[in-house]
Amino acid sequence: MTHVILTLTRVEASHLADLVGQFQALVTEPEGDPAVERLTPDVYPNDAEASREFRDVTRDDLLGRRAHDAATVAADLARIEPAAVEEALSPVDVSIADLDPWLRTLSAVRLVLASRLGITDGAEHDEDDPAYGLYEWLGYRLEGLVQVAENES
Amino acid sequence: MSTLTTPELDEQIEVAPDVPWQTVVWDDPVNLMSYVVHVFREYFGFSQELATKRMLQVHHDGHAVVAEGAREQMELHAQAMHDYGLWATVRKAPQ
Repeated sequence: MTHVILTLTRVEASHLADLVGQFQALVTEPEGDPAVERLTPDVYPNDAEASREFRDVTRDDLLGRRAHDAATVAADLARIEPAAVEEALSPVDVSIADLDPWLRTLSAVRLVLASRLGITDGAEHDEDDPAYGLYEWLGYRLEGLVQVAENES
Repeated sequence: MSTLTTPELDEQIEVAPDVPWQTVVWDDPVNLMSYVVHVFREYFGFSQELATKRMLQVHHDGHAVVAEGAREQMELHAQAMHDYGLWATVRKAPQ
C-alpha cells in the first residue's frame, strides 16, 4: 500500500490525538461501558450462553487489536512537529504508512461518540452538542480516507 | 476385502454436508455506506458491484448474509467484521 498524506489543520490534529487517546484508555479499561459493548456485540443474539462463550474466548484479543490500531494512529499523529499556538489553523501533513488502522479507529471512535450521543439507539440526539460536531467531522475525514483506500484498490 | 473400503465410507459420512451457518451483517445508523463497501471488498474480496449490492441490502433490508459455511469459519468472519466496527452475528441457515 502506498503512503498516504492526510492534511489537517493543527487544531484538528490535536483534537484527533485527544480523541484517539481517550479511545485507547477506553479499550484498555473497558469494564461496563455500553460503548464498548457496541464494539464487541453478541455473535449469537438468541443464545446468551453461546454468545458469552464466544465473548470469553475472543473479546480480550479484539480489544487488544483495537488498542494496537489506536496506538498506530496515535504514533502517526505524534510525529507532527509542535508549533506555536497561532499556527493552530495552519495545515499540517500526517504521514500514514498503513491506512487500515486509521479506517478502523476512526470508525470505532465514531461508534463510541454515537453511543454517547444516543445515535445507536435511534433516539433523538442534540445536534448542538459539541460531541455531535466531532462525530460529523470524523465522518467527513473518514469518508475522505475511504475514498483514498478505494482508489488504491 | 471389506476392511479396505470401510474407512472410506466413514470419511464420507464425516464430511457429509451439514446445515450451513451464516455470517449476517446488520444495519446501523453510524457506519458510512462507503466504508461498508470498502470493508466487504477488502475482507471478502467482493467485486465493487457485489460489495455495493450487499451494502444496499444491509441498508434497505436491515441485514445481509455475507458468508455461508462451517460454523467456525462464520465466527471468524463475524469477528473480523467486529474488528471493522460492523455489527455481525452468526446463525444457522434458515431451512
